[in-house]
Amino acid sequence: MAAVIEIRFHGRGGQGAVVASELLAQAAFLDGKWPQSFPFFGVERRGAPVTAYTRIDTHPLGVRTSITTPDVVVVLEPSLLRTQPVTDGLRDGGLLLVNSSHPAEELVLPAGGRRAAVDANRIAVTHGLGSLTMPIVNTAMLGALAAVTDVVSMEALDRAIQEFVPARRPENQAAASDGYHDVRVVGGTLPFTPSVPRAAAATLPLPEGPMASESSERYHTADWRTLRPVIHLEKCTRCNFCWKFCPDDAFSFDAEGYPVLRTDYCKGCGICAVECPPRAIEMVEEA
Amino acid sequence: MTLQVMSGNSAQSYAAALARVHVIAAYPITPQTTIVEKLADFAASGQLPAQFVKVESEHSALQVCVSASSLGARTYTATSSQGLLLMHELLHWAAGLRTPIVMGVVNRAVAPPWNLGADHTDTMSQRDTGWVQFYAESNQEVLDTVLQAYRLAEDPAVRLPVMVTEDAFYLSHTVEPVEVPAQTEVDAFLPAREARAVLVPGRAARLGSFTGPDHYVEFRHEVAQAMARVPEVFRGVEEDYRSRMHRYHGGAVATYRVDDADAVLVTMGTMSTTARSVVDELRAEGRKVGLAKLRLFRPFPAAEFRELAGLVDRIGVVDRSFTFGAEGPAATEVAAAIYSGPHHPFLTNYMVGLGGREVTPQLVRAIFDRLLGAEGPGTRWMDLPQDAGEVTHG
Repeated sequence: MAAVIEIRFHGRGGQGAVVASELLAQAAFLDGKWPQSFPFFGVERRGAPVTAYTRIDTHPLGVRTSITTPDVVVVLEPSLLRTQPVTDGLRDGGLLLVNSSHPAEELVLPAGGRRAAVDANRIAVTHGLGSLTMPIVNTAMLGALAAVTDVVSMEALDRAIQEFVPARRPENQAAASDGYHDVRVVGGTLPFTPSVPRAAAATLPLPEGPMASESSERYHTADWRTLRPVIHLEKCTRCNFCWKFCPDDAFSFDAEGYPVLRTDYCKGCGICAVECPPRAIEMVEEA
Repeated sequence: MTLQVMSGNSAQSYAAALARVHVIAAYPITPQTTIVEKLADFAASGQLPAQFVKVESEHSALQVCVSASSLGARTYTATSSQGLLLMHELLHWAAGLRTPIVMGVVNRAVAPPWNLGADHTDTMSQRDTGWVQFYAESNQEVLDTVLQAYRLAEDPAVRLPVMVTEDAFYLSHTVEPVEVPAQTEVDAFLPAREARAVLVPGRAARLGSFTGPDHYVEFRHEVAQAMARVPEVFRGVEEDYRSRMHRYHGGAVATYRVDDADAVLVTMGTMSTTARSVVDELRAEGRKVGLAKLRLFRPFPAAEFRELAGLVDRIGVVDRSFTFGAEGPAATEVAAAIYSGPHHPFLTNYMVGLGGREVTPQLVRAIFDRLLGAEGPGTRWMDLPQDAGEVTHG
């Protein structure tokens, strides 16, 4: 390892991206390296996109900025490939590691880039980490990272999990081991298709005064959702509790006063299902 | 002494615990919250025999610390941004009552618009409250400075509250290796606070009660004198820390490669790490540049800057906050310090990094290029999308 290695994690709040970046730092430290790791948060909410950064060097780092030209990009949630510019700045010859049930060959990357895929959801669920709809995939992803790069040793990762993971250590060790063994990597060259082009900050029109540039109605936050409320109208008493308790104002009403889900805003938190007195709301997994 | 990978916030928590604080009172605010969460864990587990007081606001948090400190307790609190602003009234009380509270502040931008990023506006707008202010560059410096802050605050010649600040996310949530001293080492450096309780149960006394112009001036003058003694006391504290812990962060102003420099940047907080690397790069290219990292902002280390002014031709002060209608506060202070000395190098001001905007190596290089070129006086707002960054006041 000649120079600093820069790793960028993309995940959603609740998946463990921040813990992954810190755990990697702890493991690298156990390998005798000098790590630096930090997250970027926007809104601190389960399901919101989260970015975290880890640098690994042999001596104290001379920079304190986020990582814009990563050597490795780790994507904990495959839907982020569609909604976030995850491959922005990925170096030539860099590696994209994705949690995906699809084979690595289907990932599209910069010419010359390496792609790796591991079905970390399946691994996490197998070991009872998180839930079926929100599996905690970070340790499986780190195991895969240890397999396909020389960023960190599996021994150090295993030790770091034993020392620093707050709960379910044996399950997390097993998940890392499965990630290590199950990951598949392909090299080769494929045409580069950016996942989402980054808007140039300079061209965004700035609003007058301290106003949001758009109404929050135009921010369709439903892509965070992994569960969807289904309203069984035959049980509904039109009590409006779903509307009252919804933190995102994701219910409106039809002419007869029955609730209608505003699907662009529901983040699938399930509060409505818990609060509904006649239990007329059921949370079902998003297709 | 053990080397551990931890965040800047954890460095605050460990330092407060190692200082054996008696009372912690705090109200949560991002990005500070994890500091007091960890201290709450320490207190709840019995690892730290301290009282953790839950309060309904930052204003109350500081009031609890002022009261406990007046009874002789060693106290700690932490806050950030809007929380610090809500404390404003009590900040004056803490200093005026000479309570040696140590507070961690995570430097975060002030609303509107809402923002969680690194920005020094929160603490800069409290610079006139009588608190000593340190700005840290690394998690190690956070831990060491909090321990030093207690020694300084409780010194009989000082008895003033101290803020130890760290940049939001770039330190608060960044994990990196930190040397943690053993409890015995800290105990030797920082003994129990000498009980100089102002309020004693059973003995009637008043604190901060009405004082007319016949004595008010004397009270304020005492605070001013205490503040004036800080540089000398701090030198002793830091030297003692260095001899015991073998770490030294460079005094009130940590200079780097300034001796033969043509141009020097004055920086604060985490931007200093990146700027130091750029200094090395430019030196390798044969350009004579240096760095002066401002650690202690209150009291302002004017003597150090008068000395620096005798060494260099051009000084660029890089601010992470702006005083509307004037300039960056560090620039104002540096200019005022230099004015009373014999050397008056060219001095200009650069605004960077508001609201957590990145201070990249490229940006620091651009600043040095400007400073070494045909730069004029005034304030340059760097890194704006269009060329509209000039603000000068005539």
